Amino acid sequence: MENMVLVGLSRQVALRRELEIVANNIANLNTTGFKADGALFEQYLMPVARDNEFSGADARLNFVQDRASWLDLSQGAIQQTGNPLDVAVDGDGFLVVQTPRGERYTRNGALQINGTGELVTSEGYQVLGDSGPIIFQASDRDITINADGSIRVREGSSATSDASRGRLRVVNFEKSEQLQKDGASTFMVGADVQPQRAANVKVVQGAVEKSNVQGVLEMTRLIEVTRSYTEIAALLQQQSDLGSEAIDRLAEVPA
Amino acid sequence: MRALHTAATGMMAQELNVQVISNNLANMRTTGYKRQRAEFQDLLYEHVRRVGSQTSDQGTQLPAGIELGSGVKTVGTPRLMTQGSLVQTGKDLDVAVRGEGFFKITLPDGRTAYTRDGSFELDAQGRLVTAQGNVVQTGATIPANATGLTINAQGEVSVTLAGSTASTPVGQIELAMFVNKSGLQAIGDNLFLETPASGTAQSGTPAAAGFGDLQQRTLEQANVEAVSEITDLIAAQRAYEMNSKVIGAADQMLQTSANLMR
Repeated sequence: MENMVLVGLSRQVALRRELEIVANNIANLNTTGFKADGALFEQYLMPVARDNEFSGADARLNFVQDRASWLDLSQGAIQQTGNPLDVAVDGDGFLVVQTPRGERYTRNGALQINGTGELVTSEGYQVLGDSGPIIFQASDRDITINADGSIRVREGSSATSDASRGRLRVVNFEKSEQLQKDGASTFMVGADVQPQRAANVKVVQGAVEKSNVQGVLEMTRLIEVTRSYTEIAALLQQQSDLGSEAIDRLAEVPA
Repeated sequence: MRALHTAATGMMAQELNVQVISNNLANMRTTGYKRQRAEFQDLLYEHVRRVGSQTSDQGTQLPAGIELGSGVKTVGTPRLMTQGSLVQTGKDLDVAVRGEGFFKITLPDGRTAYTRDGSFELDAQGRLVTAQGNVVQTGATIPANATGLTINAQGEVSVTLAGSTASTPVGQIELAMFVNKSGLQAIGDNLFLETPASGTAQSGTPAAAGFGDLQQRTLEQANVEAVSEITDLIAAQRAYEMNSKVIGAADQMLQTSANLMR
C-alpha cells in the first residue's frame, strides 16, 4: 500500500524539477540569445522480487523519472537595435568567445569594444575571428559587419578607405544536442566534439536575437505543473485517509 | 524550492530593466543624451546528469543530460553611442558634433570631462562654458565688443571685432575620441569621465582623422527612440508579471506539500 505514496512522490519530485526549468526559462524571458530548456520524463519500472515460492507474479510498479533536460535551439526573434556592434546570427551558428576556461560558444551578439580595441562580449571575453581576436584601431569608423561575418571599417581620416578587421568565426556542431549551458549566455561542448565552420548562416548587423522562450507556452506549463502537483497531493491525501480510516475501522472492537 | 529564487532573479532583473528604460524615457529630450540598455545573461547551471557521460561498460553515452539553471543576472548597462538627430536651433553658441568625438570640459576640480551636449553659453570673462558653467577647453576668450561669432566645421572659433569687417580667429574647439566610448563613466550633467575601460582620450581637431565635424546653431538630440523603449517596457513588464506567477506557483506547490501533514 505504501507504494502508491512512493509513486506519487516520484511524480512530485519530477514536477519540482520541471518547475525549476520553467522558472529559469521565464527568468530569462528577456535575455539576449537565451535558448529555452525543456524537461523529458520517462517511466522507471521497479524491479520486482521473483521467487518460485510466490503464488503469483508481483505487479510491476511504474515510477516517473526525470531523464533529461533538452535544449530548444530554435531561432529567437531578431530585434533591430541600430547599434553597429550588435550582431544576430540567423541560422544554425554560434559566435566563438575566448573565456579563461577555454573557448565557449554564444548566440548573444550584444558586443562591445574594450579599452584596448578588442571586440568583446558584455562579460569582457574576446570574440574570436578566423584568425584570433578582432582588434580595432582607435581611428576606425563606420564599422560594417557583413552577412558572412567579415568586418570592414573606414580607417583614419579617409572617407573611402575600406580596411578589413577580420571575419567573425561562426561555427556549428554536428551533434548540437551535445551543447551544454555554461552560464553567462555561453555554451560548451565536450573535448571530443569539434566545431565546424557554419554554412548557410547569415550575420545580421544592428540587431540582436531575443530569447526564444515563449511566454504563453511557459505559463501553460506552469499551470500544468501546479495543477498536477495539487492533484498528486490530493491523491496522497486520500491514500493517507484510507490508511487511517482502515486503522480506525479495524480497531473497532465490537463490545 | 529553487524555483522561488530563480523567479526572484527574474523579477529583480526586470525591475532593473524598467529602471533603465524609465531613465531613457526621462531623458528623451536631453541634449546629447545616449540611451542605455540593460543586458542580461543566464546564471550558473547545475548539471544533474552530465550530457555525454558513459552509461554502460559498452560505452553508451547519455545523449542529453539534466541541466537546471538558476536564473538571470544583469551584466551591464552599456550606453549605445549612436548619433542622435541634429536639430537647428539658430542660437550662435549651440554646437553639435556630426560623427565621432566629445567636447572637452574642465571641471571645477581640474579634471577633464567629456560631453556631446554642445549647448554652450558665454561667461563674464567671455569664455565658452556649458549650461552648468564649466569651461569648454577652447582657449577662446570672446571680446565684449565682438559680433558675428562663427564656429566652423573644423572647430575654429572666429569673431568680427568692432571696427573691422574681417573675422578674426580667437580659439579652437578640440574633440576627444575613445576606443571604447561605451566604457565612459557618466557623472550626470551630460558629462562623462575617462575610465580604464574606455581607453585614454585622443584629442584632435574636428573633421580630421576620424573625427566628426561641428555644426553651429545645431544641437544633437537624445538617441532615445520612444517606440522601441515602449515596446521594451511592455516586454519587461510582462516578464515581471510572469516571474511573479512562477513565485505564486512555487508557493502554491509548497503550500500543497505543507497541507499534506495534518
